Amino acid sequence: MIAVKLIPHLLSWFGIVLILLRGFPKRRSVVIATSIAGFVIGVVGAFLLLRVLTGSVGFVIITSVLGMCFLFLWGVSVAAIYSRAGRGVTTGWGVRLVSTPLCAGSVTAISGIVAGAVCSCTLPAMDSTLMNLAMLGSISGALAYVLAYAALAVEKRISHSFTVSPSGMISAVVALQLFSSSSIIRLDLFSPLSMKVMKFAHDFVHQFMESMLIPDHVFVWSYLWRYIGLLFGKEIGFWGGMFIWFTPVLLVMCAVQYERLPSVAHIRQGAERRKLLAAAIRQRRLRLVVPFIALLIFTAAAYQSCYPNVEYWDPKPIVVTATSSGEIIIPMKSDIDLEDGKLHKFLFKQGGKEARFFVLLGPAAKLTVDLDACAICKPDGYGQADGTVICYYCKTLIPLETVGKPGGCNPVPITFTEKKDGVHIDALTLINEWTNTVQSTTKGKEGGK
Amino acid sequence: MSDNIIETSGLTRSYGDICALKPLDLHVPEGEWLSVMGHSGSGKSTLMNLVGGLDRPSAGSLRVGGADLLALSEDGLARFRRESVGIIFQQHHMVPYLTAVENVMMAQYFHSVPDEAEARTALERVGLGHRLKNRPGELSGGEQQRVCIARAIINSPKLLLGDEPTGNLDHKSTVMVMELLKELRAEERFTIIMVTHNQEVAAWGDRTIYLDDGVLVREERMSS
Amino acid sequence: MKRLLRLSGNLLTSRFTSPVVIGFFLLLYIGVAFFTEEALITQMELVRQSAVLVALLSLLPLNIASRIVAEMLRYIERRRLFSGTAADNESELFDETIVLAVSPAITGLQERLDGLGYRTYQTERSLSAWRGVSIFPARVLFLSGVFCLFLGILVSLVTRTSYRGPVIEGVALPTPSGNGGVVEQIRLEKSTGSILSKQLSMEVAPARPGDARVSCGIYPPTRYQGSFVYPRFLGVALLVQFSAPDLQKGFEKHAILNIYPAGKEAAVEIPDSPYRLMISMAESGDGSDPYMTGRMNFTCKLLKGNEMLFAGNVPGGGEFVRDGFRLAFPDFRRMVITDFIRDYGVLFVWSAAILFGASFLFWLPVRLFFPLRQMLFIRHGTDMIRACSRTEGKEKMHGGVFNETLDMFDAGRVERKTNLG
Repeated sequence: MIAVKLIPHLLSWFGIVLILLRGFPKRRSVVIATSIAGFVIGVVGAFLLLRVLTGSVGFVIITSVLGMCFLFLWGVSVAAIYSRAGRGVTTGWGVRLVSTPLCAGSVTAISGIVAGAVCSCTLPAMDSTLMNLAMLGSISGALAYVLAYAALAVEKRISHSFTVSPSGMISAVVALQLFSSSSIIRLDLFSPLSMKVMKFAHDFVHQFMESMLIPDHVFVWSYLWRYIGLLFGKEIGFWGGMFIWFTPVLLVMCAVQYERLPSVAHIRQGAERRKLLAAAIRQRRLRLVVPFIALLIFTAAAYQSCYPNVEYWDPKPIVVTATSSGEIIIPMKSDIDLEDGKLHKFLFKQGGKEARFFVLLGPAAKLTVDLDACAICKPDGYGQADGTVICYYCKTLIPLETVGKPGGCNPVPITFTEKKDGVHIDALTLINEWTNTVQSTTKGKEGGK
Repeated sequence: MSDNIIETSGLTRSYGDICALKPLDLHVPEGEWLSVMGHSGSGKSTLMNLVGGLDRPSAGSLRVGGADLLALSEDGLARFRRESVGIIFQQHHMVPYLTAVENVMMAQYFHSVPDEAEARTALERVGLGHRLKNRPGELSGGEQQRVCIARAIINSPKLLLGDEPTGNLDHKSTVMVMELLKELRAEERFTIIMVTHNQEVAAWGDRTIYLDDGVLVREERMSS
Repeated sequence: MKRLLRLSGNLLTSRFTSPVVIGFFLLLYIGVAFFTEEALITQMELVRQSAVLVALLSLLPLNIASRIVAEMLRYIERRRLFSGTAADNESELFDETIVLAVSPAITGLQERLDGLGYRTYQTERSLSAWRGVSIFPARVLFLSGVFCLFLGILVSLVTRTSYRGPVIEGVALPTPSGNGGVVEQIRLEKSTGSILSKQLSMEVAPARPGDARVSCGIYPPTRYQGSFVYPRFLGVALLVQFSAPDLQKGFEKHAILNIYPAGKEAAVEIPDSPYRLMISMAESGDGSDPYMTGRMNFTCKLLKGNEMLFAGNVPGGGEFVRDGFRLAFPDFRRMVITDFIRDYGVLFVWSAAILFGASFLFWLPVRLFFPLRQMLFIRHGTDMIRACSRTEGKEKMHGGVFNETLDMFDAGRVERKTNLG
């Protein structure tokens, strides 16, 4: 089972080495050595990191590194398009830097470490004993060795005219890293990105209107305001996320496509000039292939993120009633066991109003009662998987350790008392909390500034 | 290194039981104007197709411009044709709804980089600077053939092949086309191989070979 | 010192400065977003409070301004070259420059280029040919727009002050300086505009003798004593009188209530008592807007703790009495919650929008239909020619003409072509 889970990650790593070998054609030995070393360091390092640091800190660190790789790609792509589009922009030093062994070594090592770390996140629970570490190091080293040399063999068979630009190489490497990580929901970047974009769009529009002294919705036609309201929905988060996700690789493609053709003014025969230009155009087209593949991989990663191959634990809410004193009492053990570490959803109805909430035993063996809604999104509810709960609306993952704490997209916590006969919740408080939360989030999402 | 642009040895082309070209040894020096004469079915066009990379021989060796045509892949052969050979046919094979300059630019597409200015210059060189925007139907036979010459030389070929290029022209136009070819050859220094029935046309060349039933039967060098 | 100056100069004029600074602020935003949900506001606050960040941000308009100057100088230098009055150091100003060892034959060439639609200008030692219109004005407009945008953001971040106050009919305008004129009338009317559904006007009497009357609308915001008047929400200034059987003293207060549109509730706390009033503007029966007509009824709920004692309607100027409770609204006036904003950055950002628009309108047709294509041939002695080419569009076509011209120089065919033509 674990081997099956590892296949996409290993294939991604194989692809990364292949691209790096073609990207640094004069540094093959450096690429092979550093990629193997990087991969082993990544596997062992992440294995230790996830076991030494408690909670989700290890995942946050690895996700941050992935985020930095993506930002690096953004930087590279902007530099690439800027150097192509601007007259008089010289990037010769950049080209020289890319061809140094130091650059080849560091890019490869970092790629290997990231790929190894991502692979390590799929490994089953094991103690970080010296024996286990040694075994892990040996197995990952052997795997890396085999795959790296396989990549070398494949690379040697690919035609020499099939070249890749430095920006194309980086885009493909990052695409493969993100493809690999997007299958692990705790390392996924696309969904948090969409969430952040949604928040940014909201803040930006608000700030822009205030700064430009644009009148509030009271004075503006409501049909027009509905269009502005679109900027506050999750769709803007999704499409904004898509924009940020795909723009770097599209910029790289544009940079390749708009590379200046060689000067042919010194050639005095038209056919020779055209031949030279045609060869340059052909080279340029071939250099587009890798970024195009990267674009497809980015698409696959985004798809994987939007439709993860993960079954969320999302039980149907059980209808509960309140006692005459206005208390909802949920027994610890009945048909369901509140302390089994799973999310248990309940539905309470009173006087035409209803509230959905859940009870969960957290990793610190502490019960928490929360609304099945957060303070900022529409109340689409939560599902549970792999040490987290996920907000269905914005796809934000909330580590189980932080469920019960208020703020952001965390479920809104509800005051309760834990007694021998079960969990006691004040029905009026619950209804009021739900009503207030849902009123404010629904209004917020439907166009209030 | 040899100065011959074409070197054949035992060059043969058979179609089933029919042998269109029997083992032929031929050497054509660079820059020569070679006329090929013979009756219908004598193997003239077969020879021209082989030399131009339009067909592959059944046996023998064939080197054109240093390239062993038998060793070339289909892609290599296509590249050889578009970069090294220009062909003028008796039928002009022009696109009727394109102008003269666009017809010439069609040939530039083989390099994926059309260049209108260059096509215009090529037409000016064949004396059609004033007929750039005319369609083939608006040109005389001689003018159409001159467009074909411009089209044939646009990629600066090493070898220009003519298959009865003046077969449909009157005497005056024939002379004009021949003079033009002579002038262009002097400037561009390409080699011409011209298949013809017409002794007068053949006389414009440096040398004439006669084929009969696929065999080289006679060779005649023209006095300059 | 010299080195430092040179470094500063390079930093100011480099094409990389702006992207790097923008990239830095982007990274800062991402960093801030890790720690707070209010990343944008936090980042703006960070910039306001940090001299280093302000200095870094000010690099943007400075860099753009120096780019405008540098590009103008290049443009002037190129023009001088084309008019034959500049020195021969042109290689950086063109896309392609080539020196050919050929005998220049400029006379025939000029005719040929004229025939191809190029305008030509010949001096003793050079021939320049050009076609189309330069997009340089669009470039300058664009860069000026970028300059104004960043300057506006900088000025706005650093100097913006905002003061919020209620503008009430019959009361002096609550400006930050406190010496605003009296608001004579607030009018809200339906609008037929394509964006705004309502028109608001606040008529302000002269604050001092000699001042003009001012009418403050919605957009563009009116400037009053150096501040933009930015109406935010509508409401009512209500004189609330309340007495209850268990209250020794009656309660009277001028309440500022943000209760527009009708139905929106606002609370009035009765101090030192368990009472609380929830007041909203009642919908009018005929569908008209009470704020516009001035015929206002107020829906009131009286709460004691969480318990609602009673609810009812009180007309503006009227009262409500029940079970020893009395609620009266003897005075009510239209009110607009208004921000008084002193921010000159806004003017720059508006200018930027206009400049971007103008730049785009100039650039699009020129780039599509008449991009500039230039060639320059300079004679060097009797057997050398330096040829330069530059395009702002339609590169292929122009490249063909340029190369063909060079071919003709090389083959000495310029005169022959003239014969053929």
